[in-house]
Amino acid sequence: MTPTLFGRWQTRLLLLGTVGVLITLPFGLGIIGLGADFVYFWVVGYIAVFGLGWDILYDHLQKFRWDRDWPGLFQLFAGIWEAIFLILIVKVLSLPLPGMQNLDIGWFVRHYSLVWLGVYVVSQTLMRILFPRWRFRGGQWL
Amino acid sequence: MNPQPLQIRLSWSDPATGQRREPILAVPIALGREFAQMPDELRGLRVSRILLNSAEVSRYHVSIDEDSGTLVVIDQNSQNGTFINGQRQARSVLGNGDTLQIGPYQITISFLASSSISTIAFHPDTDLPDPRLVATPSSDNFPPLVFGQSQVALQDLHATGLPVEEVDYAAIGAGLGSFFWVDLLRICGVKIDRIAALGMEEKPYARYKRLCMNSQIPLHERLRSNSDSCPDNIWGWPSYALREVWHDLLKGKVSDALGYLWQVFAEPDFAQTYTPRSGNVFDSIDRESKRIGWEQMFRHGSVRAIRKTSDGRYVLAYSRRRSSTGSPDRAFLIAPYLQLATGYPAIQFLPDLKAYREKTGDFESVVNAYEQHDRVYQHLEQHGGTVLIRGRGIVASRIVQRIYEARQKNKQISLLHLMRSAKPQGNKFGSSQRQVENHYEFQPFNWPKACWGGELREMLEKADPEGRKRLLAHWGGTTTADRRDWKRIVQQGVNEGWYQITFGEVEKVERDDTQNRTVTYIQEKGLKGQIRLEADFIIDATGLDAHVTASPLLGDLVNHYNLPLHDNGRLVVANDFEVTDMRNQRGRIYAAGAITLGGPYAAVDSFLGLQYAALCAVDSLAAVQAPRLERLNALSSLWQWLKWATNKSP
Repeated sequence: MTPTLFGRWQTRLLLLGTVGVLITLPFGLGIIGLGADFVYFWVVGYIAVFGLGWDILYDHLQKFRWDRDWPGLFQLFAGIWEAIFLILIVKVLSLPLPGMQNLDIGWFVRHYSLVWLGVYVVSQTLMRILFPRWRFRGGQWL
Repeated sequence: MNPQPLQIRLSWSDPATGQRREPILAVPIALGREFAQMPDELRGLRVSRILLNSAEVSRYHVSIDEDSGTLVVIDQNSQNGTFINGQRQARSVLGNGDTLQIGPYQITISFLASSSISTIAFHPDTDLPDPRLVATPSSDNFPPLVFGQSQVALQDLHATGLPVEEVDYAAIGAGLGSFFWVDLLRICGVKIDRIAALGMEEKPYARYKRLCMNSQIPLHERLRSNSDSCPDNIWGWPSYALREVWHDLLKGKVSDALGYLWQVFAEPDFAQTYTPRSGNVFDSIDRESKRIGWEQMFRHGSVRAIRKTSDGRYVLAYSRRRSSTGSPDRAFLIAPYLQLATGYPAIQFLPDLKAYREKTGDFESVVNAYEQHDRVYQHLEQHGGTVLIRGRGIVASRIVQRIYEARQKNKQISLLHLMRSAKPQGNKFGSSQRQVENHYEFQPFNWPKACWGGELREMLEKADPEGRKRLLAHWGGTTTADRRDWKRIVQQGVNEGWYQITFGEVEKVERDDTQNRTVTYIQEKGLKGQIRLEADFIIDATGLDAHVTASPLLGDLVNHYNLPLHDNGRLVVANDFEVTDMRNQRGRIYAAGAITLGGPYAAVDSFLGLQYAALCAVDSLAAVQAPRLERLNALSSLWQWLKWATNKSP
């Protein structure tokens, strides 16, 4: 992938808002996990919002690469880092983020991993098919 | 006193296009980025000022002047310095054959002049590279006299009595560039009978495949192309890697399949970049050709001239051949929307090698890598011998691999690799730099990856013409793929002594009849002496050429309509690849491929780049409401992909 900053933002918001929410539904409704809990939706929301900031960092790091590319493995690393960051500020620094009081680490990891995987797979498949210009425009679909 | 100004030749390959520049200049010489910043006079002598278009070059970077009978180079406090034979120097005496590195420019100094750039043309009837071909203007009365006007009236065409056909869309070239455009037109709703593709060979990949095979990429070898650059599939999904995974899984080769998946996930940092096998690519194009009805749209013909018509369309005069044995006849084709994708007009051939061939008539021991030359390897496998390779790009790498394979049959084969100059460090751009090893500069593809669809594509599109030249100079240059097997072969060859890299500027190539070998004379640095390199074969692997005027058809078009060209001799196109100077009321001409380099897009001669050009052109046609054409939206795109997946006609 060779995303641009706008491309990263647009793709992140679209995919978390669709695929992310779809995967979160069974967790949020209590079909999977410890019972119905809105916290999973908050997680997706925070990943989207903080991610807008992380994307600026990734975009900057990309400029040190000759090919200005961002391999799948880097996306995985970034995904792991964003999860760690969220756990750090909620559980270690105990920042009172609205909606995050009931976060269970075990279920967070399961839910978050599925969301990441879903978003990654859809970005590699359905996005290309629905938006044929997306890959030529650094991930911008608008 | 200086009765006769000293003259030297500077030679370099343009970092953006790879094109050779070999001006002969009178000393003093100034090199820099801004003409006005360089002095026009030094010591009362007129200065030869040379512009080097790169942000790494200072406005007035360096001067070359005579001092007490020697030639000296003086850095003018430039920001990034001047490197002489790889060493940064503020002031240094220059010798013959020395190299001067200024930003991305590698300039070789020669005290003698040599002939200019030469090429090998493609035969107009067979499309084979033909070194003996000399272009002759056609003597018959075709195209007819009315083609002398800037607009042709339809009644004048009919008055010739020749067949006149009309379509909405015509693709000129019928190679891969045409195929992508036609494929997309079909996907966007245009019917088979509204499209014509004119070219010499029915298979859209015919010339590409021939050049691959000649340059020693057989069907099982891998192309330098990305997994999701799919000529048969505009969406890039499923990619070639996924298809190979699927294929290998069905055959029970699980570890190979997982390996490809890992490659596309981790490339290029933690795995070697995945590239598809050429045979798989050609097979997939065959399937797509059948699906879209390419055979019915293809017209076997050689286009002689293109003119505007007085009713806002274009007419093509072409000589057509309806069977392989019959003689060609003449016809006209009229269409309001054209696409020009005629490929590389010619193959670049080193002038000293061309001179050798002309002098000796020996077309056997000195060859271009893109010519059919399998006999070289057969001879080597039987008798052994020495091969001299010129050039250091991807083609040279593949030839080195082929020689390595030949050595498995006969150990008496050795390889001399002659490069113009050392490459101690890679090109720089912003905070990044290209990697170099053993004087090979590495890059997965022929441009940095973000030139296809990332930040660099956007940057180039937004830049002005001068900015584009600078960016292309930064990102261009001769590179090869970072393949482990190639690096291992090079290292093994160097260690075992059968592979040797030599640097130098060739003075001449001659034939030693007593030994029945070629002899290449190289000037050593500082006029110390001459080196003789003896070899049984010389292979020129310096590449293709794309100066549009080398093509009779494009040359005629450029002359007739006074079309603007870039400095590199390519067509000027808009961001949607339209040749805007050819607009004729509603009629439009688009271009694609190597003939557009220097414009909005860098990777013009790649599968994905040609698909990008096709997408831009078709979107632009949809915007002007070209007939029976719908812009691809999310829904129609999904629907068309399903048709592709189930192999149904679009």
